[in-house]
Amino acid sequence: MAAQRALPQSKEALLKSYTTRLKEDVKSMLENFEEIIKLAKGENDSQLSRMTQCEQDTYEMHVRAANIVRAGESLMKLVSDIKQYLILNDFPSVNEAIAQNSKLFRTKQAECDQKLASLRDDMAADLYDLEEEYYTSIYK
Amino acid sequence: MAYSVNVSVEAPIENQIQEITYDGQEIYQAPLTLSENLAKIAQKIDFSKTNGEDIKKESESGEKGEEDTKDSASFQSSLWPWDSVRNKLRNALTEVCVLADVLAIAKEKHYMVLDPVPQEPAEVKPMIQVYARKKALAGAASVIMMGADRLKNCQNELARNRSTPDFHIELLRLRQNWRLKKVSNSIIGDLSYRTAGSKFPQTGMFEVTKAEEEEKSSTSPPASPSAGNNVSGQTHPPNSKASALRVTIPSELQGVAYIEVLCQKDQEDLCSANISLLNNSAHSSNADMHWQQKLEAAQNVLFCKELFSQLAREAVHLRAPIPHMVVGNQIMATVLPGIQLIIGLCHSTGNDKKPAAPPPHKSDHDHVLEHSLHQLLREVHHKNTHHPFPHPSSGPLGPSKRRCLAGPTAADRYELLEMTKSQTLLEQIIQQAQHYFMRLRTEYVLDTIAKEVKDPLIVSHWNALNSPTQSCVKINILTHGYDTVCRTSLVVHIGEKSLKCVCRDGRVMHMSYEPQELRDLIFCQIYQHQITAVQALAKCMGWQFLANSSHLGLGAVEPLGNASSCILASPIGDRMIAVRCEPQTGVQVAIAHSPRKDFFPGQLVRERKWENLGGSFKEVRWDKMEGKNFLNKMELLMASLTSS
Repeated sequence: MAAQRALPQSKEALLKSYTTRLKEDVKSMLENFEEIIKLAKGENDSQLSRMTQCEQDTYEMHVRAANIVRAGESLMKLVSDIKQYLILNDFPSVNEAIAQNSKLFRTKQAECDQKLASLRDDMAADLYDLEEEYYTSIYK
Repeated sequence: MAYSVNVSVEAPIENQIQEITYDGQEIYQAPLTLSENLAKIAQKIDFSKTNGEDIKKESESGEKGEEDTKDSASFQSSLWPWDSVRNKLRNALTEVCVLADVLAIAKEKHYMVLDPVPQEPAEVKPMIQVYARKKALAGAASVIMMGADRLKNCQNELARNRSTPDFHIELLRLRQNWRLKKVSNSIIGDLSYRTAGSKFPQTGMFEVTKAEEEEKSSTSPPASPSAGNNVSGQTHPPNSKASALRVTIPSELQGVAYIEVLCQKDQEDLCSANISLLNNSAHSSNADMHWQQKLEAAQNVLFCKELFSQLAREAVHLRAPIPHMVVGNQIMATVLPGIQLIIGLCHSTGNDKKPAAPPPHKSDHDHVLEHSLHQLLREVHHKNTHHPFPHPSSGPLGPSKRRCLAGPTAADRYELLEMTKSQTLLEQIIQQAQHYFMRLRTEYVLDTIAKEVKDPLIVSHWNALNSPTQSCVKINILTHGYDTVCRTSLVVHIGEKSLKCVCRDGRVMHMSYEPQELRDLIFCQIYQHQITAVQALAKCMGWQFLANSSHLGLGAVEPLGNASSCILASPIGDRMIAVRCEPQTGVQVAIAHSPRKDFFPGQLVRERKWENLGGSFKEVRWDKMEGKNFLNKMELLMASLTSS
């Protein structure tokens, strides 16, 4: 809870909105499904003629089915949003990545330094010999 | 009624007179045509009148009806074609009147009430209703199935082409390497060096968006990730497919930039130092570069801009004997007399695909100095963020460590003033450039001397350990074959604008940047070496060493240095060798026999003993002497003089 409380107001509101979105979408799916089932029973009597009633039911069913699909898509979007939120705000993992990178670079740097130093030593030794040879030769 | 006379009425045959002209001529009207006649007659009918009469007649008695019908029949006979029209209109009027009456009565509700008539319900069979419902359900089901299929397809496609990484995985990678944050609906990143200590005002914002679908299908060859790209340390996904991420960087950071550092000897190609584009700008303008490369390029652009602006600011503020010039994206500073350092900012935006012709002085670009510039700015960044410990709990952050220690060590004013001095980037890079030229000149001088002077060998060894503004060379002067006998060594420290030479005898000489000074010094050292080498050789040969002067006051005045000389005596003392070395004329050797073998008493010198005082020197024709080099010749000379 302490960690939750530490979150700033806006973040908390965002997280809450994610929860409400989840609940709303699931509820919408369920409600629409129930309504479709109710329509399928076809008990309701009204003043409209039967044919009109049928047409209306058909239309309503289509709309409710589309609502279910929309809720599904919305859930997918929610998943994607939550992923994005996690990626952007997961500071421990970012810190870990940074630490890992910096460690990697440090080792690489040390490696490079070492290689360069050894290369320099070799070259210096060789250069000494070459200089010696060059300046004592008659071909200059 | 026998007298009844039938009176027939008929229309006159003649036409009606329309007009009579003044000359009495009558103009007749044209006879009516049939249709005109009909219309004329029809106009005479008064429908309302007849209708009213008819209704009255109907409501009254039937006796008059016969007459009426007769009348009407006789009347109708002439108007036959309009009868049906009249009938229909009459009927319509009747009905409307009845309706009006009924409505009037019904409105009163005293006598009449309107009640719905139970209609026969339309026969709808229950099976039809079931079918309709079934159809409706099937429709709804298909809608849901389609939606589900779409979702499934999405997932399947992601699973199938695994080579295209998921947007979120890419985003995660991006997040691990770059700073990102979410601003309302978009993801904004920052590629500036702010967190690393930069204080450059320009922002390095970029936007991350999801790549569109069609980009996935495009098969344009993506830029291959270069080897230097592995900054992230992890292998990038193979770029066979475009990445699911797209980064949008501001236009001023697009393209490729670098700092060009040129060193020019003369003023003449001042105008040709136009800033050129990079050769690989075509490569860089590739739109579908991997985001990592794109961001790194943008970051580099930002870095170069910061570096250049810093240098330009310093160039303007810095006071130099020859003022630095800042023109456009070029800074010109004088390093040494006649040598300019030109620092330019080259920024090629990816828009112009065609790379400019490579400039003629491309090879002059000094990569080392460019690297040094980068290094210097990074040092500044590092200093901005890394303050020495311990941090004071109160007081400003950032005084240097020396300044922190100034209190405890009771530094005086002078020391404190020294601490406040700091070098700007431009000063530092100018120093490095100066050192670079000093080193080049020294190398040149040493090499040319080594080529010119064959007899004592000049061997120079460059020290591998050096700094950007200081290096060191050790010079050995020795004679081939006699290197154990004598060896003169000296060390030259090369600074930024001066040289410091430490000689064999411990003397320290300071020289300016003019190469001639070093050259003179080396020549002096060469001839001193010859004299000392002769002395050392004489010791080996058992000769006596009578006199030595490294700065001989005799003879012609030398333009540089002084002649040095020495006199040697053979082991038994009867022969003497005098050697004189001077930088200008070289080596002169003379020998003398002190008791000459053949003595002829003369008027002045009558006895042989006077011959021991030493005689006149005779110069040896040195170039005719046997021997490989000076010391060898000397050795041979000594040997021949000893033996005889």
